Amino acid sequence: MKKIKSTCIIDDDPIFIYGTKRIMKEIDFCDDILVFNNGQEAIDGLLNITAQGKKLPSVVFLDLNMPIMDGWEFLENFIKIPNNNREMVTVYIISSSVDPRDVERVKGYDIVHNYILKPITPQDLKDVLADVA
Amino acid sequence: MASHHFNFLFKESIYPMAIVDHEMRFLNHSKLWLEELDINEPDIIGKSFYDIFPDTPQEIKKIHGECLKQTIKKHKIQKIVTSEGRLKYIDWQVKGWKEEERGLSGLLIVAEDITMAKRNEELLLSVQQVAKIGGWEFDFVANKAYLSDITKEIHELPLDYEMDLDKGLRFYKKGEHRQKMEKAINEALTHGTPWDIETILITANGHERWVRSIGECEIVDNKCIRIYGTFQNIDQKKRIELHNEEISERLTIATTDAANIGIWEYHINDEHVIWDDNLHRIYGVTKGRFKGTIEAWKAIIHPEDYMRCHTELTSTIADKKNRTMEFRIIWPNGEIRHIRTEFTISRYENGKPSRLLGATWDITESKTTELQLKDLLKITNEQNESLMNFAHIVSHNLRSHSSNLSMLTGFLLNETSDNEKINLIKMLNDASSSLNETVTHLSEVVHVKTNSEEKTKKINLQKALKKVENNITALLQEKEAVCNMRIDESIYIEAIPAYLDSILLNLFTNSIKYSSPKRKPVITIEAEEKENRVIFTFADNGLGIDLDKHGKKLFGMYKTFHNHKDSKGIGLFITKNQIEAMNGKIEVESAVDKGTTFRLRFQKTIEKEYPKTNEKNKEYLHY
Repeated sequence: MKKIKSTCIIDDDPIFIYGTKRIMKEIDFCDDILVFNNGQEAIDGLLNITAQGKKLPSVVFLDLNMPIMDGWEFLENFIKIPNNNREMVTVYIISSSVDPRDVERVKGYDIVHNYILKPITPQDLKDVLADVA
Repeated sequence: MASHHFNFLFKESIYPMAIVDHEMRFLNHSKLWLEELDINEPDIIGKSFYDIFPDTPQEIKKIHGECLKQTIKKHKIQKIVTSEGRLKYIDWQVKGWKEEERGLSGLLIVAEDITMAKRNEELLLSVQQVAKIGGWEFDFVANKAYLSDITKEIHELPLDYEMDLDKGLRFYKKGEHRQKMEKAINEALTHGTPWDIETILITANGHERWVRSIGECEIVDNKCIRIYGTFQNIDQKKRIELHNEEISERLTIATTDAANIGIWEYHINDEHVIWDDNLHRIYGVTKGRFKGTIEAWKAIIHPEDYMRCHTELTSTIADKKNRTMEFRIIWPNGEIRHIRTEFTISRYENGKPSRLLGATWDITESKTTELQLKDLLKITNEQNESLMNFAHIVSHNLRSHSSNLSMLTGFLLNETSDNEKINLIKMLNDASSSLNETVTHLSEVVHVKTNSEEKTKKINLQKALKKVENNITALLQEKEAVCNMRIDESIYIEAIPAYLDSILLNLFTNSIKYSSPKRKPVITIEAEEKENRVIFTFADNGLGIDLDKHGKKLFGMYKTFHNHKDSKGIGLFITKNQIEAMNGKIEVESAVDKGTTFRLRFQKTIEKEYPKTNEKNKEYLHY
């Protein structure tokens, strides 16, 4: 299995971020990890990357419930980012929500590859690796 | 011989005739003269005409004189009553004669009986008055009845049937009908009163039928000697009439007493409106007060419904359909009622509408129930929705903590580094206190949602605010916040004390928490009384919220909009629920970097006035 170069985690829960980072290290998931605490921070950060002419991370783990800008709003704004490799970015929703309305709504976004229910496990990340790399 | 023959011919003449001399003494007469005129005296030759007919009127005597003088021919009709009491119409034909040689003169008189012709004429007159009618008469002197063929047909009698008064009366239905007829005839006989009555007749074949009898009487010497009149079969008409009466009565009972349906008519040409009694009741208008114009009607319709009614009515008239309309009206006492009307349109041959005819009834009760039901359904749906959301929120929030806990414990089991173990335990502690906090929030929400029946109390708004302000004095001073409180001390609201404290505290802490770092916080609190409500405004000059972006979510659970360490997204959610539990409302206005204004609506306490003695007693009890 190949390694992913850059991954982005968008979540407001520090414990989740700690855990995900730790599992990523364990299974040697990627080289770089970008972390944003809400949708707005993420959009700002990603726009900054684009402005510098750099490539966007190829995998984004996105939480749904966040302050200031939630996961849904992030998706709406993200698809507007002008970057030639945006289409190479794969988004995974990672949420605690078992609300079928959320699962259904996710299907409406082509850019979202899958819906992963928290807690995230090493196996989940291995599957992502198999899909993407 | 010639004289003898002449005498014979005269005696046997087919005319009742007589010859008198210049002093009106009978010289000769035919046999019929005596018979027809009921003259009982065996020999009237040589007797005066005026002795035999003492009632001869002056005008006929005058004719006699004229004819004697000029030997001319004249005639005059006279109604006579013979010595046997028969009434006759006699046409006296008189001709004068003169015999120059013998110097004799006199009159030739023919008495033509025209009674039958005269009676037919009278009957005909009656028939003309009321068409298709039989005629009849009873002659009391001869005790004879004359019935026309139609009259006999109505009685179902053979055409040669001999009728008299007693027999005639027995054809009327026993009881009220026969009594009615007998009474009419008695009145006629004693006072000469004519009649026009409708009664039931039992025919010769036993059929019951309604007939109309019109009668008049002929009085001679203050005595009724003859009654005559017309007779009509009105059975069909009468039965339809009675049937209609019955239906109409039934309809009246049904519409007035049972269903309270009012009937109206609108004549389009002259804009005239007719209301029945019931419609007056429905519209709450005293009978006689309604002017019967379309303008007067329009004035009663609720202004908000008027244009719709007008449009519906116009299109109804145009598309030729019968229609139902529902609208509100305002009673003279100001009460609003819901009305439903169904109507039909009558048209002229060219299709132009001539008249609207409608039935109206009051549907206020069912309408109110319908509205209540709709409200209830809405509330139920909302509650269902909010319950569903709540369940998902609970599951989401509990899951996010539980997943963290399970992840951290998993790491802990495999961790070898002591330093990292301490770090994990610290995180475990954080996660479990977060879970604890979440559970506390959720139980708070559940409390509000399930204890909305908690009793409200009369609370002085100013005092309540002062109390909360005092509790957070330290916080306000730390931020150098200025608080302008403009609340009249006389304002009392109906509130659950614990909820009110929680709401006010949340508003204060929100304003401080989201105050702008660029300026000192200024909080302005005002309240005004409107009818039975108190409108309470709580304004700050803080960060503000982009309502276009977040407006919908502002009062949602676990929604936060600022990057603040204490943002939990629970405060406004609970505030909203607490206010709604007290039948209040909360609204928000905000501009980014300018400030936020919350507008709350509470129920005002309606003061009940106690008699002074009671007030004293109360005070006493308080001591």
